[in-house]
Amino acid sequence: MSRAAAAAARTVAPKGNRAADRSELFDEKFLKTLEHLHMVSRKVFAGNIRAERRTRKVGSGIEFADHRTYARGDDFRYIDWNLYGRLDKLLLRLFEEEEDLHIYILVDVSDSMSIGNPLPKLHYAMQVGAALTYVGLANLDRVAIIPFGDRIMDRLPPSRGKNRIFRVFQFLRSCELGGKTELAECMKDFVAQNKRRGLAVVISDFYDPKGFEQGINTLRYNKFEPFVLQVYDKREADPPLHGDLTLVDCETGDTREVTVSRSLLESYKRAHEAYCKELEAYCTKYAMPFFRTHTGIPFDELVLKIFRSGGFLR
Amino acid sequence: MSLLGPIPLTIFLYIAIGASVLAVGAYIIKMRRRRFEVPFSHLWKRVLEQKDANALWKQLKRFLSLLLILVILGIVLFAALDPTLGAIDRKARSVVILLDASASMKAMDGDEAGKESRLEAAKARAKGLINSMGGGDIAMIMKVDGQATPMSRFTSDGPMLNKIIDGLEASDTPADLTRALGAAADALRDRKNPLIVLISDGAYPELQLGLVSWEKGAPTQLAPRKDPSKDKSKDKGKDPSPADWNTKNLASVDLSNVDVRYLPVGRRSENVGIVAFNVRRYIANKASYEVYIEVQNFGTEPANRQLALYNGDTAVDINKIQLAPGQRIKKIYTKLPGNAENRLRASLRPGEGAGASDAFALDDQAFALLPARKKQKVLLVTTDNLFLEGALLVYDNIDERKIVPAEYERNPAIADGFDVVIFDDYTPKVLPPPPASLLLFHPTGPDSPIALRGELANPHITVIDEGHPVMRWVTMSDVYMDRSGVFAPDPKKGESVLAFAVRDPIIVAKRDGKRKILAFGFSLPSLGRDSATDLPLRVAFPMLLVNTLDWFAGDQTDLLTTYPTGVRERIPLDGVVGATEAEVKGPDGTLTHTPVIEGLATFYGARVGYYEVAAKAPNGRVMAQIELAANLASPGESDIAPSAELVLGGKKLAEPEAFAITRSRKLWTYLVLLAMALIMMEWVTYHRRITV
Repeated sequence: MSRAAAAAARTVAPKGNRAADRSELFDEKFLKTLEHLHMVSRKVFAGNIRAERRTRKVGSGIEFADHRTYARGDDFRYIDWNLYGRLDKLLLRLFEEEEDLHIYILVDVSDSMSIGNPLPKLHYAMQVGAALTYVGLANLDRVAIIPFGDRIMDRLPPSRGKNRIFRVFQFLRSCELGGKTELAECMKDFVAQNKRRGLAVVISDFYDPKGFEQGINTLRYNKFEPFVLQVYDKREADPPLHGDLTLVDCETGDTREVTVSRSLLESYKRAHEAYCKELEAYCTKYAMPFFRTHTGIPFDELVLKIFRSGGFLR
Repeated sequence: MSLLGPIPLTIFLYIAIGASVLAVGAYIIKMRRRRFEVPFSHLWKRVLEQKDANALWKQLKRFLSLLLILVILGIVLFAALDPTLGAIDRKARSVVILLDASASMKAMDGDEAGKESRLEAAKARAKGLINSMGGGDIAMIMKVDGQATPMSRFTSDGPMLNKIIDGLEASDTPADLTRALGAAADALRDRKNPLIVLISDGAYPELQLGLVSWEKGAPTQLAPRKDPSKDKSKDKGKDPSPADWNTKNLASVDLSNVDVRYLPVGRRSENVGIVAFNVRRYIANKASYEVYIEVQNFGTEPANRQLALYNGDTAVDINKIQLAPGQRIKKIYTKLPGNAENRLRASLRPGEGAGASDAFALDDQAFALLPARKKQKVLLVTTDNLFLEGALLVYDNIDERKIVPAEYERNPAIADGFDVVIFDDYTPKVLPPPPASLLLFHPTGPDSPIALRGELANPHITVIDEGHPVMRWVTMSDVYMDRSGVFAPDPKKGESVLAFAVRDPIIVAKRDGKRKILAFGFSLPSLGRDSATDLPLRVAFPMLLVNTLDWFAGDQTDLLTTYPTGVRERIPLDGVVGATEAEVKGPDGTLTHTPVIEGLATFYGARVGYYEVAAKAPNGRVMAQIELAANLASPGESDIAPSAELVLGGKKLAEPEAFAITRSRKLWTYLVLLAMALIMMEWVTYHRRITV
């Protein structure tokens, strides 16, 4: 076994959650980075940084949206009398209703997220989640954080305003970790608990043996706007393995004896790439923003990339 | 192709099966694998499921790997059999080189200048023979002296054989040619083209040269001699010499179909040697001794020598002797006074002028030992007994003290430290502790150390045990005694009867560990004693006492302490109980071990000089010790005249011809290289994950 592989083997020590120690996760430097991100987001997206977001709900806004035929019981104040004069038909004016956007940051805290070298994927996901939360709070959106594994672990209720960020840090530092990845079940619980629709940012490795489709579909079918962010470790995509090994699944504990040859390793790499591509193709197909990143890319770089591509800020 | 490996095929088969089972077992046993934690084993499962479609190929690869290991194993085992190509050459021979390393090979006439011994010349000839061996020839070296010792197995490895030859040394024993030929014939049995090459000076007795049969079942050339085992009067307890043994028991050496060749060495025959040297104490006067020496001139010219006899470092006698060719003179030195030294040495030195030449120095010195004498402390417990005290006066090697029975009874511990206690007409209640030996006259009652069963009036001694040391040279057939106690000896307690009155034991000896007891059933006459016997008036009485004290001391008057080399002898070790092995310290200080059976130690002298044989108890205490001397004492070996020709069993032996050169090739090197290449291949394919 190579030295790198030995290091990797040590990295994924089976006992205890390596990602549990989160005391150094959100330090002063991190906070400065968040502030910088906020400033950049304002500059880049000037004119579009209003706190208010238009929803597709038609209601009492000020911007005209459409007409519809009058029905009994409608408010007379919205009847377009000019059209009635010209067409002799009673038509009602519709306006886009304006309201606060709800952003839900769903962070996968299952056991598979605790793997990663030098930074566990979980820490990376929490940093990205915290950054997006800060920008959302600063834009006066209502941001909620929901960690999940095989269930919804906890919930930071939606809140608004930059000053709430410390509570976010505290929540992320102390939330419960572990368990298997049960994306479908968790999303089902999530939509049941959150009636206000909004942006659902799912940060996960999407390593669910039952597949990722059902979970994401649950969000889609319940009028949430899924925002998919896949995090992986480089060694997961290209594991430095060699020789006779017993592979242990860190979530299920299942073991499998393999003799890792070069051809097997190539097959695995192809399978991993195919899995990620499958997720990306799925998101593209349904017009969902999708980002894939490994833990080697600095989180602020990823966040800027997200800003530039749109979808998170409008 | 032939297989020259030392392993028998059956054992080899077992080894091969065992190794194969181990190899297969190693493949069956699962290797302990490293554990590695992965975040999503589902992906691995998916990959492996695809791979499992190729499971048959995978299994096949694993089987191929096993097959490769078995092939490697087979090659290594095959190499161990030493396969050789081209060895089945009809001209290739199996040769036993008999290299004479007997005493006569020490003669310094291997070259013209006399600077090289015969053995050195023989070694050079043997090496020449080996270096001329063809590829298919195989040879074995056998050393010939008093024994026949194979020094190698059959091999074609010339350098190894040369190294063995270089390490050979001549011993001080005569050669036993018959035994060597027998061993060589046995080694060559069932081998093709057998050949024996004898490299020697040809100095063998006629008897040995005749004990050969060239055709199967043919009679020997010599008529059988008298069987020495029937002659019990002499050499009792001694092993017969090798020559006697062969004459007596063995048929001639079967050399049918064996080609025997002879390579002579040696040039000169001038030698004067001591062929016999021995010494003994007088029976009557053990303080003095006599010496016997025989000297013979084996050369063809008259010789003059100076013969010197030393006792320790003291010269006892030196005189000049003149010997005609072949003349043997005997010299007896009588009534030589004893001193503290017991080591005697006879030496021959060259005289002046012509006839001083001598090529063989080993027989110019001879060694002998005077049997050791031990001064015994004797306690005589008696009321005055003039006969007994007077008879003890003839034995000058004792320190005597006399006490009366009452004194002993008061203080039995008075006997502590004495070697012998004599109780005259008195039976003590408390016996002195061992190892003090006891002599009792007329013991009575239950305190007698040997049980009594009655008393006999006017007994006549009818039978005595002449074989017992106490009764040696003693006649008691018409001894008178008015009465005697009758013993009830128990052989299980080591008690034996020395004299019977018809069937009643009246003199009994007992061996109780290291202690010896002798009991007379009758009493000696003395003042105020009513017993009557005429034994003290007879010559037998002092002899009886001397024998008894000698027996107590472990002395044996007829014990020989000087033996010829190359002959196995059995030496009595007095007082040895329970020891099975004795330590032998040779003339050069080397220590060897020899078995002890029933108190007799086996002695084989390979060098001339003084030996010390000691039997030790498990705790290291010396139980018995004896000094011995060994001499060549072999006229046949001292007759160093070399034989340019040798007639063996009526057939004149020719010199060996040059060996036929044949080609052969050892395969083991190539096989090992092949095995190494395959191991390397296996290693590479394993680590490149090709065969896994």
